[in-house]
Amino acid sequence: MKLTGKILVVDDEAHIRKFVTLFIQSLGDLTVLQAANGLEAREIYERERPNLVLLDVNMPRVDGLQTLRSLKELDPHCTVLMLTSLVNRQTVEECLRLGALGYLRKDNPPDEMIAQLRRILTTALAPSPPKVA
Amino acid sequence: MTTVDISLPLSHIPVSESAHPGLGLKNRKILIVADDRAKVRSLCEILRPAGYAVSDVNSGEAVMDSYAQFDPDLLLLDVALPGVHAFEICRYLKNLRGPDAATVIFIASRSEPAEVVDGLAAGGVDYISRPFREMEVLARIRVHLLNRLRLAQLHKEDKAKSRLLCMTAHDLRNPLVSVRALSHLLRGGAAGAVTPDQRDLLDTIYDASQSMLDMVTELLDRSVLDAGELKLTLQPASLAALVVSCVKLNNATATQKNSTIVLECGALPEQLPLDAPKVRQVLNNVLGNALKFSPPGSTITVATAMTATECTVAIRDQGPGVRASERDRLFKDFSRASARPTAGESSTGLGLSISYKIMQAHAGSIRVENLPGGGAEFRLVFPFAG
Repeated sequence: MKLTGKILVVDDEAHIRKFVTLFIQSLGDLTVLQAANGLEAREIYERERPNLVLLDVNMPRVDGLQTLRSLKELDPHCTVLMLTSLVNRQTVEECLRLGALGYLRKDNPPDEMIAQLRRILTTALAPSPPKVA
Repeated sequence: MTTVDISLPLSHIPVSESAHPGLGLKNRKILIVADDRAKVRSLCEILRPAGYAVSDVNSGEAVMDSYAQFDPDLLLLDVALPGVHAFEICRYLKNLRGPDAATVIFIASRSEPAEVVDGLAAGGVDYISRPFREMEVLARIRVHLLNRLRLAQLHKEDKAKSRLLCMTAHDLRNPLVSVRALSHLLRGGAAGAVTPDQRDLLDTIYDASQSMLDMVTELLDRSVLDAGELKLTLQPASLAALVVSCVKLNNATATQKNSTIVLECGALPEQLPLDAPKVRQVLNNVLGNALKFSPPGSTITVATAMTATECTVAIRDQGPGVRASERDRLFKDFSRASARPTAGESSTGLGLSISYKIMQAHAGSIRVENLPGGGAEFRLVFPFAG
């Protein structure tokens, strides 16, 4: 099944946004939006309502945790996957408590990261089952 | 760093701090521990005019209370103190407070060589004896206080350097991750077809960034450990399963070198309190080294065993072994031994020092012995309470 949908990648480092975008685009017909900080992320989310947000934990000024809070405030049903480099268990646990789907290590070997992205996107972008009346 | 010239001839050493400002000795606190009032009085007469804050206590039993209240920089501890022996007090204090404990100078009436040695072994740095000669007492105290200040300064700078190392390593990781990922995309044809020559160059960029990433990760681990942030999360885990999974992981590297890893699984308890990711790191490091330093075509043996009190994982390689002169420093930072990787693999010399700290934090140990037939055996020991 070819994946379709809209993904928002939030990371303060342009090179990380670039390769994560290319990884995602290699998986299907996916539109990738990019935000360089938490404020931009909120703006784009409000306008575009992406299916999934990949959100860096460690960002200057408004960090991932604050951004997650702000996105959940905007849309309690938004699907957010945290992007981390080194796992700080406490922060990750806090993100999960706030409703993040999970976390993805951006320092994992590329093949591994692409495979993880494929699994996550397949689940996150699956059409929701029809509601029983 | 402030450098202080302490090589002044005795006659030039100022009695009063105000005559020689800037050394940071004024109001440094000295606690005299002696029950002989005459000694206390004469020392006070020397120390107070020199600008030191002085307090005294007359028994070994009361010294810790006074210590806690007064928080001295230096203790003048009388060997002739009745009750608890001065050396015992010194030892207790050094054990309790570690490197932050006050500097201890003993007050001795006679200085038998054996007694002097015992006092220095207990953690004291010097002796003064009666009759107290003002210039000499002040000079000795001054030298030891300056050393103390220097040491504190060095500790502070060392911590700052660790923080800097940590930040630098952290900041270097993400660009490297991107270089690796982008070269991976390029060689996979994400930006158009690549020729075999271009693919070869891209493979080289990929491998170099991977190797740098490994080194930076080790640096980061090390600096986190230095900053005292090694926090173990101990949870019941199977050491046997960890060993098996690390052997599997390293099999790929072994195959590349035409080497083999043989697993001799002795009995191990089902579960041990471990920080599994950290123990995995140690196993991968030691096993990785075994492969790195053994010639191609070697057999690496991983053997597990247990006794009533401990579980061991022994990793035997066919490398050049560890020179006796290098054994002690092998587990220290940046201490690459004379042995070199046999296929150009990279090494920061930090892996074993990180492993050492992780094993220590598990109340275990890591040791190395040369094997009679050549090669080395690294033995990881985990305590096991039956």
